Amino acid sequence: MVELNLCCYRNNHLDKSWDIDTYISQGGYQVWKQVLSGELTPQEIIDEVKVSNLRGRGGAGFPTGLKWSFMNRHSPGQKYIVCNSDESEPGTCKDRDIMRYNPHQLIEGMAIAGYVIGASVGYNYIRGEFWEPYDRFTRAIMQAREAGMLGNNILGSGWDFDLNTHQGAGAYICGEETALLESIEGKKGQPRFKPPFPASYGLYGKPTTINNTETLASIPMILAKGGDWFAKLGVPGAGGTKLFSMSGHLEKPANYEIPMGTPFKDLLSLAGGVWKGRELKAVIPGGSSTAVLPADKALAMNMDYDSIAKAGSFLGAGSVIVMDDQTDMVKSLERLTWFYYDESCGQCTPCREGTGWMYRVVKRIRQGKGRPEDIETLKDVSGKITGRVICGLGDAAAIPVASFLQHFEHEFRHYIDHGCSIFDRA
Amino acid sequence: MIGFIKHQVKTFGLIELFKGLAVTGKYFFKKKITVRYPEEKTPLSPRFRGHHALRRYANGEERCIACKLCEAVCPANAITIEAEEREDGSRRTTRYDIDMFKCIYCGFCEEACPVDAVVETRVFEYEFHQRGENIMTKDKLLAFGDKHEAQIAADRAADAKYR
Amino acid sequence: MVKVEINGQVVEAREGDMLIDVADSASISIPRFCYHKKLSIAANCRMCLVDVEGAWKAVPACATPVTDGMKVNTRSPKAIAAQKAVMEFLLINHPLDCPICDQGGECELQDVAMDYGDDVSQYSEAKRIVGDRNVGSLIQTDMTRCIHCTRCVRFGQEIAGLKELGATGRSEWMEIGTYIEKSIDSELSGNMIDLCPVGALTNKPFRYKARSWELKAHPTVAPHDSIGSNIFVHTRNGEVMRVVPRENEAINETWIADRDRFSCEALHSADRLTQPKVKAEGHWSSMDWSLALQVTVEKLKPYLANPEQIAILLSPNSTLEEVYLVKKLANALGINNIEHRLRQQDFSADQYGINQTLAMRLADVEALDSVLVIGGHLRKDLPLLNNRLRKAQLNGCEVNVVNPSGLDYNLGIEHQVDTLSLVSELASILKAANELVDQDNQVELAAVTFNATHTAIANSLIKGKKSALMLGLIAQADVHYSKILQLASQLAQTTGSSFSDLPAFSNTVGANLILASNSADLTNWLANGKKVFINVGIEPEFDCLLADQALRAMQQAELVINLTAFDSVSQQNYADIMLPIAIFAENAGTLVNIQQDWQSFKLFASAKGEAKPAWKVLRVLGNMFDLEGFDYTNTAEVLAEIKALNLSIKQPDYQCNLDLSVITPTPSSLVPCYSVDGMVRRSPALQATPDAQLTNPLN
Repeated sequence: MVELNLCCYRNNHLDKSWDIDTYISQGGYQVWKQVLSGELTPQEIIDEVKVSNLRGRGGAGFPTGLKWSFMNRHSPGQKYIVCNSDESEPGTCKDRDIMRYNPHQLIEGMAIAGYVIGASVGYNYIRGEFWEPYDRFTRAIMQAREAGMLGNNILGSGWDFDLNTHQGAGAYICGEETALLESIEGKKGQPRFKPPFPASYGLYGKPTTINNTETLASIPMILAKGGDWFAKLGVPGAGGTKLFSMSGHLEKPANYEIPMGTPFKDLLSLAGGVWKGRELKAVIPGGSSTAVLPADKALAMNMDYDSIAKAGSFLGAGSVIVMDDQTDMVKSLERLTWFYYDESCGQCTPCREGTGWMYRVVKRIRQGKGRPEDIETLKDVSGKITGRVICGLGDAAAIPVASFLQHFEHEFRHYIDHGCSIFDRA
Repeated sequence: MIGFIKHQVKTFGLIELFKGLAVTGKYFFKKKITVRYPEEKTPLSPRFRGHHALRRYANGEERCIACKLCEAVCPANAITIEAEEREDGSRRTTRYDIDMFKCIYCGFCEEACPVDAVVETRVFEYEFHQRGENIMTKDKLLAFGDKHEAQIAADRAADAKYR
Repeated sequence: MVKVEINGQVVEAREGDMLIDVADSASISIPRFCYHKKLSIAANCRMCLVDVEGAWKAVPACATPVTDGMKVNTRSPKAIAAQKAVMEFLLINHPLDCPICDQGGECELQDVAMDYGDDVSQYSEAKRIVGDRNVGSLIQTDMTRCIHCTRCVRFGQEIAGLKELGATGRSEWMEIGTYIEKSIDSELSGNMIDLCPVGALTNKPFRYKARSWELKAHPTVAPHDSIGSNIFVHTRNGEVMRVVPRENEAINETWIADRDRFSCEALHSADRLTQPKVKAEGHWSSMDWSLALQVTVEKLKPYLANPEQIAILLSPNSTLEEVYLVKKLANALGINNIEHRLRQQDFSADQYGINQTLAMRLADVEALDSVLVIGGHLRKDLPLLNNRLRKAQLNGCEVNVVNPSGLDYNLGIEHQVDTLSLVSELASILKAANELVDQDNQVELAAVTFNATHTAIANSLIKGKKSALMLGLIAQADVHYSKILQLASQLAQTTGSSFSDLPAFSNTVGANLILASNSADLTNWLANGKKVFINVGIEPEFDCLLADQALRAMQQAELVINLTAFDSVSQQNYADIMLPIAIFAENAGTLVNIQQDWQSFKLFASAKGEAKPAWKVLRVLGNMFDLEGFDYTNTAEVLAEIKALNLSIKQPDYQCNLDLSVITPTPSSLVPCYSVDGMVRRSPALQATPDAQLTNPLN
């Protein structure tokens, strides 16, 4: 049986788990105290994180230890640590529960990360729709300040660290790290062109490290129990546990924290299997920006980077969307293309114009007004967006279109030929 | 030797003469095609390039939008256009002159027009009596277009699939 | 230096230069929309994607710094595919209204589409339509045509210093607009028209007037301020249609002020005087030139016996040749009263010399690290000097001002002194500076007090390695101009700064060169009157600082001869002879700008009616008075004669009276920037802007 909730959700079952006393009773803030007392040097922390094989949980999977080592702790001037809790990817809600049930672990993780990179100020950018998590997290910061875990000269160490929250206004694009920085600065959330990367030119033009909520919340446990412990939970190349947001046609949709490399079958049964006793049709394994997989491929894969990549998709943010055999893939894609059409920031041409084009064509097909050449057009347009945009949103918008067409082209053909879905017996 | 005999036969047999007479005879009995213009007229192609006209849309709005492409393309510099913003904000000509003496009836203006405003009609019988009548002004061209609109529209329709 | 290989061609470049610049310098064309060399890099149009060896995807040339050994291909299948894809995306929502678009024929999108666009679009869905915004009388918007390159937005933020335009909305519905319904009021706003690669922002007064292919471009010089911006005048059949900038890094870079762009409307003004007119017994009659000039000579002759009673007022925008001929003619007739500094009232510093120039090259302004502007609204009076100063300020230059209150700056001001008495504040700063460098104060400064701001300004100037003092139009109009000059030049000496008494108008420098030796006291002439006034290219009642006095003096004069381009009711009232003269592109000549560049320009537009260039009128008058040396056939001959004089400006050594006991605060005079001369006053588009609505905010 899969062992659940070993890291980020480890306190979720406790009563008032978001309270600082609960957290401290579970050994919370011990690592932070160790760090402040000088027992753990920044270099040791980075080494430990490297050993743990922790990879960024926001979707790109960049090794966290390596990312931190890009920052020069001793360079003069202000530096920032920013936590990306924007999680707006359709299908994702894992970070929400960290902020709701275990906010102090995130605060501790951010404080440690700030210490490692030499940042005395941190920002947590929280998704605009998250009222309760925002509230909980803000209270948690206040509690941590009162307890002396944040502020100036923390516990007499001479180190200052303070945290701010910033609530977004409901733009998906602000989950892109540079757009997020722009948003914190009070500007229109639009990605910046990279290079320069945030490590050299970030928030307010200062060196900045941006990590996902889950990544940062994992840090205290890695340092408490050792990088080895964390690495061994997972598979080679991807250590630790991972939060999976199971949504879609499931009996028990929820967030599950399981070790990396767990077979998808096990995860599916944890979530109670496909609802109403239906068959599995397709799975989007990492949020809407990753390629959809047909049932056979999904059932054969394990939930880690390499295995999912081998199956033809991406682990992404770990938002598993499960679709049963009654799902109309054309309608699904129409909704997804609408999402990207609506959320494109409008800055660069291929994404601004291409997302709307794809949406309109899919919509027309779904309305039964498709033309035989539409499928070629869709493939062509999605291909033309890929790799020609400033940030990942354009690519992310093209992936679902390409993968839906790759695996379920016959459904689109049916719509075009008969003007209705394969389920309608017209 | 054989060649010499053939030549003699041709020469004295009057073969070429009869060939020629055969052609004459053929046309002597064929239907006559002489047209007694102006009482009779030859058929004209829908692409015939005669007198110019400016067209209107069905609602009476003039088509010309003063893009000046005809003026630019005209190889004889026969067209002069001046434009400004009409009260409703649309782009319109204040002057549209075609100098019929300069015009070489090449049809480029018609080809350049993005809105089918300037056209060359089937009308080729016109004459000027006074100096200055050769300048076809906007008003004259529009009036001419109104007069021949039925024929113009029919010609455009007939030629539509080749354009 | 690094070596980069572009399309097999090895190009040398500085490390860190952007690929697109390097390719441009090697004349390898890369299509682009959002990139502009004077603006920051946005990399949002994606048109300049090129193939760089080693990169899996095509990279934008505008945002990719070159590295040694980089191999770039702008024509590889990968690069072409990327460029064609972007072109297709740009075109799907762009309206196909080129025939009615004013940008048609000079449109960057059209040009690039010819190279990279397909002839048939696969897009068959509905196109985006965006409502237009009324952004004022200068710029016409057609926002459906916008391709979101954000050049205009970046121009506003980075060059004009006003965030007037911005992007709102997301996705396809991202719109460029003014956030709230308002007009674009920057004095440089017209440059957005040039920047816009499509027809989204076009020249409003020029709307639908002509197509680009009908226009002939003539290089010339802008006639309104002393920057001497280089421009192209576009004419159609000899008629001026519009003005666009001509690039000159040393002067105007790629920009021009709105005044220079839109004033050409005045050439076609209904006010233009088209025939010589003479008043006889209260009635005006038009006549031909020879008769009118005869009348002029006859009427003038009786007064020549006592030339002291004649004064000539001259536009500071007159060409060098005109100024010279006025002086030559006047001096030959014995007239010495010539003045072009009409917006000045204190001439007592003249005796020490006149030097109204910029003490450095315009480009060097960007390198200053401390500036004190005294009595000058540079943003409106000399927009492009202000633009340079703004760049300096963004690089860390401290800009301090001593000005009347209520001025609107578009750059960060370090220390600001709002005052109605420039002299006393300047004295305080001088005293503060003297104290800082331990220099003895003169007796006159004994009673002067100073505060922390004065010290801060003095300190800023002292510690600046390249510091400068600049005197503007408000200071020149001050009653105590000579005292200001004296104090400012002392302050410059004390603080080790350069000192510039900024010339305001397009030929102030040139006119000073020629007229420096003429004694003049305009204030006295206007107050006490003269029997004869000859006005060249001006309307005294608008162009003189002491407008009311000027009008009264004209009305009381026995003979007023106006060489003017424009007719007006008030002129008809006081003048006796009006001779129509050609202006701007209808004239040829030379202007000397703020940094003493002599810029000659040719004539290429036919003058309105019978108007003649003033230099020709003066030349014929010279002939009619039987004077020697008036047989010029063109302006080049006049210019050669001027050059032979070897005129130069000497730095004055001011010894002005510094009695500060009588100083009382006086209302300052600010000339609204769209009232400075007859041309801008008659440009309907400029007059409809908020800047023209200002009368004088200070009084």
